[in-house]
Amino acid sequence: MPHHKATRLCLALASCLAFSSGALAQNSGSEAELLRRVEQLAVELNQLKAELARLQQKPAAAPLAAAQPAPAPNAAAAAETGPAAAPATVISGYAEINYNRPLKASQNAQADLRRAVLGYQHRFDDKTKVVTEIEVEHGVSSASDPGEVAIEQAYVEHQINPNYALRAGLFLMPVGLLNENHEPTNFYGVERNFVETAIIPSTWREGGFQLIANYDNGLSLQAGISTSFDLNKWDAASSEGRESPLGAIHQEMAQAKAHDLALFGAANWRGIPGLLLGASVFSGQATQKQSAIDARISLWDVHARWTPGRWDLSALYAKGTISNTASLNAPLVGGESLIPASFDGWYLQSAYKLWEHGSYRLTPFARWEQLNTARSFAELGQGLTPAAAPTERIITLGANFQLSEGVVFKADLQRFREAKDSDRFNLGVGWSF
Amino acid sequence: MRLHLLGGALALLAPSGAFAADYLTAEQAAKVLFPEAERLEARDWLLEPALQQQLIQLGAKPHAAHWHVQLAWRGKELLGVVVDDQVLGKFEQIGFAVGLAADGRIRGVEILAYRESHGGEIRLPAWRKQFVGKTQAAPLQVGEDIANISGATLSCSHVSDGVRRIVKLIALARQHGLLV
Repeated sequence: MPHHKATRLCLALASCLAFSSGALAQNSGSEAELLRRVEQLAVELNQLKAELARLQQKPAAAPLAAAQPAPAPNAAAAAETGPAAAPATVISGYAEINYNRPLKASQNAQADLRRAVLGYQHRFDDKTKVVTEIEVEHGVSSASDPGEVAIEQAYVEHQINPNYALRAGLFLMPVGLLNENHEPTNFYGVERNFVETAIIPSTWREGGFQLIANYDNGLSLQAGISTSFDLNKWDAASSEGRESPLGAIHQEMAQAKAHDLALFGAANWRGIPGLLLGASVFSGQATQKQSAIDARISLWDVHARWTPGRWDLSALYAKGTISNTASLNAPLVGGESLIPASFDGWYLQSAYKLWEHGSYRLTPFARWEQLNTARSFAELGQGLTPAAAPTERIITLGANFQLSEGVVFKADLQRFREAKDSDRFNLGVGWSF
Repeated sequence: MRLHLLGGALALLAPSGAFAADYLTAEQAAKVLFPEAERLEARDWLLEPALQQQLIQLGAKPHAAHWHVQLAWRGKELLGVVVDDQVLGKFEQIGFAVGLAADGRIRGVEILAYRESHGGEIRLPAWRKQFVGKTQAAPLQVGEDIANISGATLSCSHVSDGVRRIVKLIALARQHGLLV
């Protein structure tokens, strides 16, 4: 590089001399004037020589040898030589491959490519970026296969100022501990916990606008307006609503009915290292003016996570309610699953990093969950009101083995207190980058 | 009613924090870490392969041979050294600087740039204070002596790894009499 600069400098010098000589021939009035011009050119020549020498001697960085302290270039030169800028587009991805083997019905054992997700983040400029994730579930997606293809996230994020950012598009709802951090390397156990699957319908996303703020006291706030659920999708003949009331009626922005919008907010405090305390709330109408009955769906949660040293302890409680279910259920009486008035669940989880060597890390864990997807039903009249569902209690014991920072193998055993035939052994591998 | 509620929620968000931005230059960070310094001497190091190898053997693989170092002087007394570097968070580069006192103890860690959507809490003084006073004898590792931030695991781990690498680099430089 200094050679190129030197060449350019010599050319400039030659041009300067040629131009000056021409000017002299035309304008010199006397010998004294000529001598004065020659002296002036000599001074300029010396200045250019000095500049050339300085450019040629300037090193980019001094090799650092054990016995040789590095020379100190000036601060401005050092500031120019930072690490290369980050690329504007980053590819990301994660995947989960699971094996479930029921202990009392091994004929139902199943291996499944649960999901493979590819995403990209592209930064348009310092303030604006877009984030997208495309998911394929269950290996193959076609008319005769169980898989599905879905866009999990597709939003634009703009930094309004150093304090706030605005997100617009299809985004993950800021609820609980798992929904926004659902990659397999981020949770314990082969399967996601039941509370944040059946009560909070992870991976739960809605379309809308969201404002995000972080504060110096460790508080972060998220709030916005989004699409809501569609209660018209409730199928009383299906068991889907019993498994996850909100999972049965979410819209995922697939031509989502959007007459009824929802408001949501989340507050998370991380002011003490290792501690997270948070809560969220979502509330919106959900019949989308497709019937004369209005119904509001509300969901809230409180959660905590504490990671002192090698421990990772977490707890969460979530509750959902649906209003006006008596009117909504009246025409559904006799169906397998009616719309519950409330549903809730909580869990406690403890994990401990038992062993570590290089990137290998073994972390056993235990999780206790209680959940009820139909805690209560609105009164329909004697003999017509369904009984509340029994509260399921599940204990999961297992371990995560981290092979590399983004690769995890998992094994666990799950015992169900109600659905005892569901007791199962699980194996899984997942990765995330 | 909905708009009224939203307006109320927005009104709660009084500006006081920071989000996704460049916060400090390396030189500004050095002044924060060594406010008593009369002079900052910038040095640009290109690590020789033999020294790189020694650093790897210490368990701190450098991602580049190039290092930007600032020496903090008060008269002829070397107060300490500040090294700035970058690590990958989840998707984006995190710029940070580590100040080390003349005795090798960490004076402080400053975040220069953070652009991830989540995890900006690593800028919080409470999280960065975990490094202060520690030497290369400490694990300087998330899950050991450094507490994690939930939702920012990769950022916490990678910045901790980066701090550990710089602490070992400067210890090595001191062994070889390079900080003079």
